[in-house]
Amino acid sequence: MRVPYTWLLEYLKTEIPAEELAEVLTMGGLEVEEVEEWTSADGEATDQVLLTSVTSNRGDLLSMVGVARHAAALLDCEFEMPDYHIPAIENPNRADADLTQGDSRITIEDHEGCPRYSALRLVGVEVRESPQWMRHRLEAAGVRPINNVVDATNYVLWELGQPLHAFDHKLLVDGHIIVRRAEPGEKLVTIDGVTRELTRDDLVIADPKGPVALAGVMGGTDTEMRDRTKNVLLESAHFNPTMIRRTAQRLGLSTEASYRFERHVDPNLTLPGMARAAKLIEQMAGGDVAGPAMDVRREEFAPRSIEMRPARTNYVLGTELPTDEQVELLERIEFEVKREKLEQPEGLEQAWLRPVPESAQAAERLTVRVPTSRPDIEREIDLIEEIAIIHGYNNIPTTLPVNTSGAGTRTRLQKLEQRASEVMRAAGLCENISYSMMGSRDLDFLCIPEDARERETLCLRDPAAENQELMRTTLLPGLLSAAQRNVHQRVEDVALFEIGRVFIDRGELQLPAEEKRLSAITLGSARTSTWNLPDQYEKMDFFWLKGVIEQLLERLHIKDASFERAEHPSMHPGRTARIIVDGEAVGYIGEAAPDVQKTYDLPEPAVLVEIDFDTLLDHAHLLAQYEPQPRMPAAIRDVALVVNDDEKHTAARLVNVAEQHGGEFLQEVRVFDVYTDAERLGENRKSVAMRLTFRHPERTLRDEEVDEAVNRITNQLRRKLGAEVRTW
Amino acid sequence: MENRLRDMAEAARKALREATSLDELEEARIKYLGRSGLLREIQQGIRDIAEELRPQVGRMINETRNELERLLEKRREALEAGRVHERAGTDRIDVTLPGRAQRVAGRHPLLATLDDMLEIFLGLGYTIAEGPEVETYYYGFEALNYPADHPAMDEQMTFYVTDDMLLRSQTSTVQIRVMERTKPPVRVVVPGRCFRRDTLDATHSHTFHQLEGLCVDEGITFADLKGTLLAFARGMFGEEAQVRFRPDFFPFTEPSAEFAVTCFVCSGEGCRVCSGTGWIELGGAGMVDPNVLEGVGYDTERYTGFAFGVGIERFAMNRYGIPDMRLLYSGDMRLLRQF
Repeated sequence: MRVPYTWLLEYLKTEIPAEELAEVLTMGGLEVEEVEEWTSADGEATDQVLLTSVTSNRGDLLSMVGVARHAAALLDCEFEMPDYHIPAIENPNRADADLTQGDSRITIEDHEGCPRYSALRLVGVEVRESPQWMRHRLEAAGVRPINNVVDATNYVLWELGQPLHAFDHKLLVDGHIIVRRAEPGEKLVTIDGVTRELTRDDLVIADPKGPVALAGVMGGTDTEMRDRTKNVLLESAHFNPTMIRRTAQRLGLSTEASYRFERHVDPNLTLPGMARAAKLIEQMAGGDVAGPAMDVRREEFAPRSIEMRPARTNYVLGTELPTDEQVELLERIEFEVKREKLEQPEGLEQAWLRPVPESAQAAERLTVRVPTSRPDIEREIDLIEEIAIIHGYNNIPTTLPVNTSGAGTRTRLQKLEQRASEVMRAAGLCENISYSMMGSRDLDFLCIPEDARERETLCLRDPAAENQELMRTTLLPGLLSAAQRNVHQRVEDVALFEIGRVFIDRGELQLPAEEKRLSAITLGSARTSTWNLPDQYEKMDFFWLKGVIEQLLERLHIKDASFERAEHPSMHPGRTARIIVDGEAVGYIGEAAPDVQKTYDLPEPAVLVEIDFDTLLDHAHLLAQYEPQPRMPAAIRDVALVVNDDEKHTAARLVNVAEQHGGEFLQEVRVFDVYTDAERLGENRKSVAMRLTFRHPERTLRDEEVDEAVNRITNQLRRKLGAEVRTW
Repeated sequence: MENRLRDMAEAARKALREATSLDELEEARIKYLGRSGLLREIQQGIRDIAEELRPQVGRMINETRNELERLLEKRREALEAGRVHERAGTDRIDVTLPGRAQRVAGRHPLLATLDDMLEIFLGLGYTIAEGPEVETYYYGFEALNYPADHPAMDEQMTFYVTDDMLLRSQTSTVQIRVMERTKPPVRVVVPGRCFRRDTLDATHSHTFHQLEGLCVDEGITFADLKGTLLAFARGMFGEEAQVRFRPDFFPFTEPSAEFAVTCFVCSGEGCRVCSGTGWIELGGAGMVDPNVLEGVGYDTERYTGFAFGVGIERFAMNRYGIPDMRLLYSGDMRLLRQF
């Protein structure tokens, strides 16, 4: 809200400069975002304007008087209300909520929506431009001056916080105001010229013919003030915050009035607001108040009484504020306090209550009467907060709590996740963080079939942008788009991974499954430079990234891991593997499918990894157990096998056969060379060289023992896989 | 004769010592120690001296020979070593060519910032909890004491999936989940993603990260909250850092505060980073509202607690001088390779 400084000083008896006042208010719960140097459009007035940002619980600070009252409490200085005189009132607290007075009548049909409707008739006004001082004030506050009557109502809205509306009395059918719900389909042209279609949820001010104003939001054109208006019906009402909010939201129409009603206006402000406006109108537009004012309501709006224990204040704040001081602080914000000594400390005798310096305090109780301008104060804790604010947060001590919880540690899963990230980074992959939203388009780009789990998506009702309507079910779109952006920036080497959540829909009645994934993409080289290096050392190809994943598994102390040919919709049909850990599939690694590569405009086949991270970690171990170094020397034999170069004769299969038949002393089988050479080996044949390591735990193996084992292996390889064997 | 020997020895030593190549050394050897070298010549002259002096002179000659031979050997070794070195010197590489190491990547600046924050709270006895990013209305608002249809909800700019399912707009939701499954004392920090319907620009993002903290126990006070956040600020910015608290409003805390730290760039003088205020706002905090504690079944008379939330993106941006929030989500290798 715009708070002109000189206007504010009318109510606040202080000489504190605007900048300092801004600081005091900010530290006192009313944030001043800026102090603006303001000059009027006609160049004849200047002022400083405090731009305040009011939290949604403090509707009382949305007026000059509210700000002044709060500032006075913070500064501990005098505060003065503006001048008005409440006229004679007719009809307070009548249950029938229908009042006729002279040529005017008010009927409240919806009490929930409108607990109070006060009005006043002014006759013989002369509508014209407001005097300059008024125009300047409104201009400084950011309100466009209209005419002297409307300006008076806006002035009071700013000054006291009470929204008012001035009807041309003559234009109200029978001078009859009816506060009711709108009928479905009823229409109203509001003063901004827009035709509003209304629903049962909207509260309207109507005359017998139909709606004349959207209650608490905006008036209608049919009954608004004209230049020739002579008689005015001045409305000063209290409306239900929730109903006003719903209407304002539904119509996307936020006005100064609705903004205040939503944040609760003091129900006892209707009469002061009306009286103050009447005084200003009489002053600027002439005219007279006709007859007693009308005030329709069913009940009194009495101040609330709250009990509080001064000891509790200190228990919550960690202060040692004596009761006297607490009382003084509450009185500064115009709360009335009654002190009471208790014979027996009530509910405060528990051992855990921190002892207060004056033990008598524990046995005291305050009864606090809270003005109706502060509906946010309902409980003891709310009063404690008020004491803290006026006392000043920065005057509260600074301590560290005693730790009764023990050591703070990361959980096993958190440590494993940290480690996984470290391994990936040590391999040169950078951490990517991408948005959690994606579009169904992204799944199409990835060639994900309609029946895949990735299509079980959660759809946002109000997405932030196009192609961001779904919660992601895979991390690949984020990584592929990042790779594409890098390529477009002429970055050739891309190595990215992300550990993040995906969301699998489980229907409306259940929250989605949130699963962690580890995904990666590589493109180009892993090295800082690659001069003179042959391709296979340079590129982060399938086997490079597979090596990284193997390292990851090793660092997570996963012993039993294997890779088998598999298919994945986004990956190359012949260059993709399923990653299997302890017999359970945990993910895929493969070159991007040619279509995917093309869609993302990648210069060469990127390699992709997608791992179900939660499942992977199920198999991981934080700690490994020491295995003693072998004392006995190993016997090493290299064998070369020439086999058909096809699906059946994979390296894993050859190793597997060797392991099966190698006997108890075979420790390791490792492939160390593979080549094809049609001339030497024949068409579709390949040579696979394996190193066999044998070891006995307690003695040196004899050559014959080793030879026998090697023969067993080669015989089986020959028999099962038709391998030609060469040993050397 | 003795003088001659001494002079010759002196000259030989010098020649051997100063030989700069094996050839020169050989020359010196022939000259002094060779079969018809100077030493030999002197040795032959022994016949001309008195009989009784011969043994003494002979000993001197032998000592000189031994000495010179040792010197010769030493020098030869030195020169030979030099020659190996010299030969290796011709086998040259261009040491200015770039290195060819496997790259190593650093932590993402956002996560590095988060790590540092977590480190501090682990040290203060907090454990790390996580919670769902997609939440029910209950955890998102109701359990956090948001009144239905209240303007406070506008600020959250929440993404909805259905009326009852939403993307959490703050990590505070996890407070409830943690307290539901834990009895006091509670000390947790909750890092995580949050979502708000913000338009993407240099300082706003619909996806962002927060770190939430929660401490509930007997006798936890607002003073404890201040001390904890001061310890946090000093852990992040150094021992000189100060924190400032001013009243704010959150439905789930009372009293509520916004907290700021002295600007780490200008130490409070006022600069561009802190928009001239000397303070950098870090987040919201407060004493957990009794309604929230009651909702999870805690004895609100006995237990009090505080909670706080810190945004991580702006923190990281300030820390590394990253001007645009979108960069953090860009996956740009040129950015990521810097940290």
